[in-house]
Amino acid sequence: MTFQTMLATMAVGMLRTFGVFVLTLLGSLPLGMVVALLKKSRFALVRALVGAYISIMRGTPLMLQLLVWYFGPYYLFGWSISGWRFPAIVLGFVLNYAAYFAEIYRGGIESIPVGQNEAAVVLGYSRTQTFMRIVLPQVVKRIMPSVTNEVITLVKDTSLAFTLAYQEVFSLAKQISASQTSFMPFLIAGVFYFVANYAVEFGMGLIEKVLDYYR
Amino acid sequence: MSNLNRRQFLSASMLVASFGLAACGSSSSDDATSDAPEGTFTFKHGFDLDYPPYSYRTDDGEIGGFDVEMAQAVCEYYGWQYEPVPFNWDAKDGELNSGSCDCIWSGFTMNGREDDYLWSKPYSDNTQMIMVKKDSGIVTLADLAGKKVGVQTATSAYDLLYDEEGQAALRETFDGGEPVVFETYTIAFNDLQAGAIDAIAIDVTSGNFLMSGKDEYTFLDEALGSEQYAIGFRKDDTELCDQVNAALDALVADGTYDAIGQKYPDIYDYLCLGK
Repeated sequence: MTFQTMLATMAVGMLRTFGVFVLTLLGSLPLGMVVALLKKSRFALVRALVGAYISIMRGTPLMLQLLVWYFGPYYLFGWSISGWRFPAIVLGFVLNYAAYFAEIYRGGIESIPVGQNEAAVVLGYSRTQTFMRIVLPQVVKRIMPSVTNEVITLVKDTSLAFTLAYQEVFSLAKQISASQTSFMPFLIAGVFYFVANYAVEFGMGLIEKVLDYYR
Repeated sequence: MSNLNRRQFLSASMLVASFGLAACGSSSSDDATSDAPEGTFTFKHGFDLDYPPYSYRTDDGEIGGFDVEMAQAVCEYYGWQYEPVPFNWDAKDGELNSGSCDCIWSGFTMNGREDDYLWSKPYSDNTQMIMVKKDSGIVTLADLAGKKVGVQTATSAYDLLYDEEGQAALRETFDGGEPVVFETYTIAFNDLQAGAIDAIAIDVTSGNFLMSGKDEYTFLDEALGSEQYAIGFRKDDTELCDQVNAALDALVADGTYDAIGQKYPDIYDYLCLGK
């Protein structure tokens, strides 16, 4: 195998990695907010259920969760799972990352002083208005470093999609390494991940700058 | 860039998102073919892409190997649609039972698993050997006492080292009484080259593949054990198993089996159908 073929094959794998990455963010960033708000619900039952969800998602390996999402429908209900592979991967990642993002959001929300809520009530803001116009903009700014951390972890975690035979860049690195008895594919994969994460860092840095409107 | 306004930011995010969607749109079809005419049986060949020369990524970056070519030949024989299902070896039973694939055909050892699957006739012999550096001073199995011996997880060589009727007693003489367990033989071989381990317990065909073109390695004369490769089907899938067996016979008779085998000199001598 020539170096060019190796690069080209692995670049295709990197595109697939990127696909899982983007879809996971699109799903889990908003879902995490819903989960965070439910965790602060008035109803004890809702809080308990959401708490259990977060515990399970954070407390079990993502690899196991992926296996359950993909094979679960067959083993539990005997359903055919043909065509379910890619949706199961995205579902597994979204639900897992939403739990982590929810806790980051909750930390951000709880860091806003109660006094601001009281002031908003005095000024006649509704609860929704208070949250959307006063709390949320500050939360977004505060949680950016933690979110960046999580996003970078996600780039590397996408390699777990290999569990469900998704041919992303790290699976390809392993396969090519086996057939070429060479370590080079792993180095290439490392460079690909690094470049992707450097781009994430750069992008998130830009967003932080844009949000930094009081300096 | 701090004057990036909201609209620009939104359109930039949309651009990123559409890239992602495009990326995953193109992904599912890469290794799969699903443009079969209505009513054609699709044979879903489950295999591990980490297992040269039976199933692996070829020099062109495509899937290939002896097992892949044979499965394609069987499909051609019956006019079936061939669908490769390159799976994760540790999840092979889920893939088979759930119907994600129709068989496990990937240098799959039948010995010790006779009752777990419905087996085709064995098509390749294999032997487990110990691979060492020629200048290591290790010449017999007894010399392995106190040495670090590598093995790949979930392989028949691994099972053999833990089989009381196999080589469990030999394993207990290794450094620490345990082998060094690797995820792939490629990594184990790197460790052997680097001197981090002293030997590798491996099947002869994979070992030949790793050693090809490298003079400084050899197998010990004493074998660890022997086994045979066959195709594993779901236990109730007798019809498919019978059909594949019949096709194998036909492919041996018309010389296809031999012709494909000759492309893989590392394993050619071990192919056992029609002998």
